[in-house]
Amino acid sequence: MFDAAIWRKTWGDQRGLVLALVALWTGFPWLYIWLSAQIPMSAFQDVLLRAIPQDWQRLSGVPFSEVATHAGRVALAFVDPVVVLAATVFGITRGSDAVSGQLERGTLEMILAQPVSRTAVFVSQALATVAAAAVLAAVLCGAAASAVALGPWAGKVDPVRLVPAAANVFGLMVCMAGLSALVSAADSYRWRTIGIMCGFYVFSILAKLVGRLSGTLGWCGYLSVLNAYEPQRLVGDPATAWRLLAAYDGVLLGLGLAAYVAGCRIFARRDLPAPL
Amino acid sequence: MLVETTDLTKRYRGFTALDRCSLAVREGEIFGLLGPNGAGKTTLLRLLLGLIRPTAGAARVAGFECTSESLAVRAHTAYLPGEARLFRRMNGTQTLDFFSRLRPACRRDRAAEVARRLDLDCSRQVARMSTGMRQKLALAVVLATEAPLTILDEPTANLDPTARAEVLALVREARAAGRTVIFSSHVLSEVEETCDRVAIVRSGRLVHEQCIAALRRSHRITARLAGAWDAVPAHLEAHATLVAREEGRVVIESGESLAPLLGWLATLPLDEVQIEPVGLGGVYDRFHKASGWQAGEVTG
Repeated sequence: MFDAAIWRKTWGDQRGLVLALVALWTGFPWLYIWLSAQIPMSAFQDVLLRAIPQDWQRLSGVPFSEVATHAGRVALAFVDPVVVLAATVFGITRGSDAVSGQLERGTLEMILAQPVSRTAVFVSQALATVAAAAVLAAVLCGAAASAVALGPWAGKVDPVRLVPAAANVFGLMVCMAGLSALVSAADSYRWRTIGIMCGFYVFSILAKLVGRLSGTLGWCGYLSVLNAYEPQRLVGDPATAWRLLAAYDGVLLGLGLAAYVAGCRIFARRDLPAPL
Repeated sequence: MLVETTDLTKRYRGFTALDRCSLAVREGEIFGLLGPNGAGKTTLLRLLLGLIRPTAGAARVAGFECTSESLAVRAHTAYLPGEARLFRRMNGTQTLDFFSRLRPACRRDRAAEVARRLDLDCSRQVARMSTGMRQKLALAVVLATEAPLTILDEPTANLDPTARAEVLALVREARAAGRTVIFSSHVLSEVEETCDRVAIVRSGRLVHEQCIAALRRSHRITARLAGAWDAVPAHLEAHATLVAREEGRVVIESGESLAPLLGWLATLPLDEVQIEPVGLGGVYDRFHKASGWQAGEVTG
């Protein structure tokens, strides 16, 4: 079920991406909070609570009054494209490499000629990807917490309140990696796997938006995995944050795990085409 | 038998890649696989490794069923794919380390020795290696494994003549050590030089099996007829076969010893008699150039 050599190789394969994201997510919270601090809280509240129509509140997922706090503004960093897109790119990149990526490069043939089961190959890669996602979420959490504790808003937000939000980012990465690995396990071309997952991601965004904005089509929101990605709701009341996180990450990690299991079964039984 | 297939068949939508292939490979022999591109050789090898599943039939390696016991089969097999692709970010040493960790039976020191014999610079990154160097690296991975069965799919492709000779020497050493080798190649001369037996595959079907030792005893006699001649006499039919007769020329092949035929040939009205070894090329051409071959017929 687990092969240490594959685990080490996968870490080598993802090293560049992980290091790039570590650099990005270490610097981003500091930059984000410093830039946010340039706009005084009173001016931000004025714009948010008076100038923006209240109907638009549905898009944010939380009342504007919650957003217009120091904690709320820090939470927006977790829904910034720098975080959401990077988390999605990490998931799709690593997941798509699981089978179709290696099939396309032709390197899977030599690995599977060795006495190692396909399940062990798939599981070891998946564990390395999930471990990397955990490291990245921890880096993001640590960077955000240190920026909050030591930056211009020092003492205004409890850094511990950012932990559930970072855990939600971890859930998103695992979910996207698992779903990508599932598609990859059934596919032979990585570009097609990435295309399918990009389509799925765009669909998820649209379904979430439609679900939020339309009363009659509210059910569309349930079609989107991003409905379970609401870090801005997880920096509010600490008592409810962990309960909400359990629900959100339950969906994201559950989907990711189920996709990994399904992908593993497909990979273990399918024909593997010769390198092209 | 170390390898046995029974009516092994692989069909894809619209075409049959391998059709009811039954063969047996003995322990300690070098078994050649010959056939043009697309004949089904690689399909057969990939079926043995469990990389693809058969549509029908069965295959066993070292007593293990190739689909349901694929892990055990691969523990007993070292496989060089036709186009071995390795990890571009690793260098040669890291590649050898990786595969020796993946297969405990792979001797790391032996891999380094094979690489040295093939004159391979293992410090170079795979991405910066030439095609031939990558082939040598893959060969070092495979030939370092002391598995009972080694499967080599076109092992000498892209290699220089020195490395090619070294690979053939390594293959013979594997046989000398008691291991079995399945050797798929398009280079007839090296198959004839190295293998004990050969199977010829055409259009997904095994059409001929040939013992190389018997082949070495076979000769082709080509001559121009200077007079009337009927057929090979009954008492010599076991020794000679009329292969072709056209425009005053006859081609006769001797199956075993040439000696019984010589006396008879001396009595025939023949001019321009030419006697030469049949060679693997002659056998191969019989199945891949001649139109007389019938599907479903297995000879040998």
